[in-house]
Amino acid sequence: MRVEVRLYASFAEHAPTHRAGDAFYVDLEATDSLLNLISRLGIAAKDVHLSMVNGRVVYDRSQILQDKDRIGLFPPVGGG
Amino acid sequence: MTYGAMTGTKTHSLKGENMDRFLRINMTNRTAKFEPVPAQYKDRAGRWLTSSIVHDEVPATCHPLGPNNKLVFSPGIVTGTSSPTSSRISVGGKSPLTGGIKEANAGTGWSRRLVRLGIRALIIEGKADGLWLLKIDKNGAQFEAADSHAGARLSEVYPPLFTRFGGLKTVDVCSIGVAGENRMSAAGICFNDQDGRPTRYAGRGGLGAVMGSKGLKFIVVDDAGAEGVAIAKQDVFDAGRKKMAAALTEHAITKPRGALNSYGTAVLVNIINEAGALPTHNFRSGRFDGAAKIAGEAIFEGNKERTGKELYNHACSPGCIIQCSNTWHRPDGSEHSSCVEYESAWALGANCGIDNLDQVAEMNLLCNEYGLDTIEIGGAIAVAMEGGVAAFGDGARAIELVHEIGKATPLGKILGAGALVTGKAFGVARVPHVKGQNMPAYEPRAIKGIGMTYAISTMGADHTAGYTIAPEMLGVSGKLDPLDPNKTELARAFQYATAFIDTTGHCLFIAFAILDIASGFEGMVEECNGVLGTNWTADDVGRIGKEVLDLELDFNRKAGFTKADDRLPEFMTYEPLPPHNVVWDVPDAELDKVFG
Repeated sequence: MRVEVRLYASFAEHAPTHRAGDAFYVDLEATDSLLNLISRLGIAAKDVHLSMVNGRVVYDRSQILQDKDRIGLFPPVGGG
Repeated sequence: MTYGAMTGTKTHSLKGENMDRFLRINMTNRTAKFEPVPAQYKDRAGRWLTSSIVHDEVPATCHPLGPNNKLVFSPGIVTGTSSPTSSRISVGGKSPLTGGIKEANAGTGWSRRLVRLGIRALIIEGKADGLWLLKIDKNGAQFEAADSHAGARLSEVYPPLFTRFGGLKTVDVCSIGVAGENRMSAAGICFNDQDGRPTRYAGRGGLGAVMGSKGLKFIVVDDAGAEGVAIAKQDVFDAGRKKMAAALTEHAITKPRGALNSYGTAVLVNIINEAGALPTHNFRSGRFDGAAKIAGEAIFEGNKERTGKELYNHACSPGCIIQCSNTWHRPDGSEHSSCVEYESAWALGANCGIDNLDQVAEMNLLCNEYGLDTIEIGGAIAVAMEGGVAAFGDGARAIELVHEIGKATPLGKILGAGALVTGKAFGVARVPHVKGQNMPAYEPRAIKGIGMTYAISTMGADHTAGYTIAPEMLGVSGKLDPLDPNKTELARAFQYATAFIDTTGHCLFIAFAILDIASGFEGMVEECNGVLGTNWTADDVGRIGKEVLDLELDFNRKAGFTKADDRLPEFMTYEPLPPHNVVWDVPDAELDKVFG
C-alpha cells in the first residue's frame, strides 16, 4: 500500500524536498502501523508530538495504516 | 508645537502621593484627575479591572461612540515587575462592533511604563472636538492638539514622536490610525513593540473607534523617575516568578528556539489545515491548498533565503521569554512587515484564498498602518469576495481593498465596519460571526469546543476567550477529540482560567507551559500573592475568573443580549464543512449550560 505523507516544522528536513507540507508517498506493508512509518522516515518516535491520519489526531501509534491514508507529523507546536 | 507649549489643563502631580491610583481623563474639557483606587477594586487589575469599571460606570445601553462610553486601560497584577512575559495592557469599553462589553489586550512596554507610574487604571471619558495627544509622566498629564497627524500612516508618525519625547528608552506610544479616526468598528488600538514598530494591537472589537470618538489620537507615556510597582511579599513573589520562568523555559512550545520562537504563531497554519479546520474561502472549507505557503515554516525559510541567515523571533514587549513576534522580509532582504501572526496570515491569506506571502504581508502591514484588526478585515474582505467585490485568491485586488479602508472611501468604510456590515451591504448569507465579531482561524464545525467558546463568549467570536485548541488540537493539557461535542465543562473552565490570566498581565501563551507544568501554574498564583499580599490558591483562579465573566455577562444582559445571541450562524448548521463534512451540531441547550 501507499500512503501520502507531510512533515511539518523541524521534521521538514526528513522530507525529500526538505520543505514543510510538501506531500510525498511512502510504500508500506499492509500490516504497517503509524509507528512503523515514523521509523521508516528516520524520525525518533519520542520527538513526534502529534500525528494526524486523514485529518484526525491519532494518539495510538500502533494503529495500522490503510492504502491512500494522508498522514501529517508534527513536533510540539502551538500558537494562536 | 513643543511639549513646553502644550495647551489644555494644568499638570497634575503624582509626587508625594500614594502609589496605585486611577488617572481619569475628561476629553470634553481636557482635564485630568488622579483618584485613589476605590476599596471595592482592591486587588483588581487587567481585565478584571477594565470589566469592573465598564460594568459599574458605563451605561450598558449607551451608544459605543457616544459621550457616555468610556475607554479603560489597565496593566495586569504583575505587569511592571520582573515577572516574565507579563507586559500586557488590557483595554476595555463598550464595543461598537458587538454592542457588548469588550476587553482586548496587547503586549507592549507602554503597559509597564503606565503601571510603574502608579497608574492602575487610565479612564478616558467624554468627547473632544478634533484630535488630541495625551502625555503622561511623573509630573502628570498634559494635552496638545494632534490634528496635524490625521490621516497619516502610523509608521510615519511614530518615529517623530519618539524623537521628540526622548526615544524608545524614555517613552512608549499608544495610538489609533486612520480607521480609528473614522470610527470604524474594525479599528484597533496600536502600541509600539520594543523596536518602536507600531505593530502591537489591542485589536478586536473596535476599541480604536471608541478612542477616535473621544478625539484621542495618541497617549505617550514616559516613566522616567517612576517609583515602580510595590511588592507586598518579596519572597513569595520571587518564588513564583522563578517557577513561572522555569516552566516557560522548559516547555517545548514556549522555550527559546521552541516552536513559537522559531516559527511564530503562524506555525499553526499547517497543523490546523492538516486537521481540516483552517477556514478557507470565507469558511467554505477546512483545508486550503496553499496553506504551507503562508505558514510559519514558509516565513522562516523565506526569510532565510532572503536575508541569508536564520531569523529567530523577537519579544514584542520587555521581559518576554517566549519571543514569538516575527518579521517578514522582501526579496532584497529588507524588512517588510511585522508581525505576521497566525491569525493574520490566515485572515488575509487562507480565508481570502491568497497563498502569496508577500501579498499577505503587505495587507498585514497596511492593517498596522491604518490601525485595523487583521482578523475583522480579513473576514470583511472574504465576505466581500463572497459578495462579488473581488475574486477569491486575488491578492492584488485585496490589497487595493485595504487601501480603500485607509482612504476611508465609502467602500472602505463598509469593509472597515466589519464582516457583518459588509455581508449586509453585499447581500451575503455566509457571514461567520458571533455577536457581530468575525470568527478567528479555527473552524467551529471541525473543533467543537472552540465553537462553544465563540458562541457563549462575552466578547463575540473570540479564540482568546478560552483557548480550547490547546487540548483539542495541540495535545496540551489533555488529548481531546476536536469533533467530540461534549465540551461544556471545558468551555467553562477555559474561559474562567483565561479571564484570570488576562487579569495577571501575563500573555495568554503562558497557558501552554502552565497547563502542562503544575509548578508554573502555582508560580502564577504566587506571583500575584507576592505583589498583592493576598493568599490566593488555585481555587481563587476559577473564582476570580467567574467573577470577571459574571460582570461581563451582566453588562451584556443589560445591553440587550439574550441566549439567542449565544449561537453560531445558521449556515454552519446546514452546510457540511469539507474535508470532514461536518456541520455545527452542539445542541443549544448545551451552550446555555456553560454559564448556566
